[in-house]
Amino acid sequence: MRVWLILIACGLVTYLTRTSFIALGDRVSVPTRVERALKYVGPAAFSTIMLPLVLGGNGFSGFSEDLPRIIAAVAGGLVIVKWHSIPYSIIVGMCSLWLLEWIGL
Amino acid sequence: MEDLSFDPRAALDGIRTIAPLATPAMPFGLVLGFLVNDQGIDPLAGWASSWIIFAGSSQLVALNFLGDGASALVIVLSVLLINSRHAMYSAALRPAFVDYPTWFRLSAPYLLIDQLFAITHDSAKLNTSTPRYRMWHFAGAGLFGWIIWQISVGVGILVGDVVREEWSLSFAVALLFVGLLLMSIKDRPGMVAAIVSGLVIVIARELPQGSGLLLAIVLGVIAAGVAESRMTERAAP
Repeated sequence: MRVWLILIACGLVTYLTRTSFIALGDRVSVPTRVERALKYVGPAAFSTIMLPLVLGGNGFSGFSEDLPRIIAAVAGGLVIVKWHSIPYSIIVGMCSLWLLEWIGL
Repeated sequence: MEDLSFDPRAALDGIRTIAPLATPAMPFGLVLGFLVNDQGIDPLAGWASSWIIFAGSSQLVALNFLGDGASALVIVLSVLLINSRHAMYSAALRPAFVDYPTWFRLSAPYLLIDQLFAITHDSAKLNTSTPRYRMWHFAGAGLFGWIIWQISVGVGILVGDVVREEWSLSFAVALLFVGLLLMSIKDRPGMVAAIVSGLVIVIARELPQGSGLLLAIVLGVIAAGVAESRMTERAAP
């Protein structure tokens, strides 16, 4: 029972974050400067989520351990820049990681 | 009142657009399912977290905390902090949703995952399409992402340790976000946002669960806003 109640509370706060401004609609007025800055939520959020995933959750503390993932992420990034395809980028990135781990980098 | 009736073509386009972005998250869903078993959490409750919360990284934290017996307050607060970025997605999408009926503005954001935000916000194709098309594009893509996630976590719970850790399949999610990031950078302020957020999260990663995440995103957005107004000032004669 406790688990369910906690999960429902977690679900509620998550729903509220997502609904917040969309539900308020035109009942809230966002200053133009803020509205313009919000165009950049994408790059800010994706960069914030991506880095800890690539750096193994421990930042630069274990740089040599992170090296295969960093190289694989760069390889995947190059595919994006050149061909704008996320599926191909993931295939290339994963194969790079497996190769690097296999040769024992 | 504008015609907003169901548009199957838009919904299909939405599915087609999000499919390559939603499927890379499947290994992560399988890992989550395995974690439910590993932490000794009631399988039904563990699976329910994926439709009650429906946000992978916060589910991971919630399930870990539940297994470790953390207090309810700590768990809910961590989930709130990790998912606070969704409020910024919501704020960024607000203008596009203003004219939709209340039922849609209350239900559709439930589906708002990172990938859905990425394909919806600032998309050149969507910006020139009709409100009706945008509405059903969002719904189709969102529902597809939702179904994929329920299946992945469910299968993970049922079959258990199917994704071996040495396969590093979870890294697909890291690569997904490399892609989302690079495709979301369209100009110099976007670059500034990515660099500032990246620096802050590397420095602030030790901050208590989730608060470093929020700080990094907010500072990145502010830096981009400042960079943009500097650029327009300089462009003005």
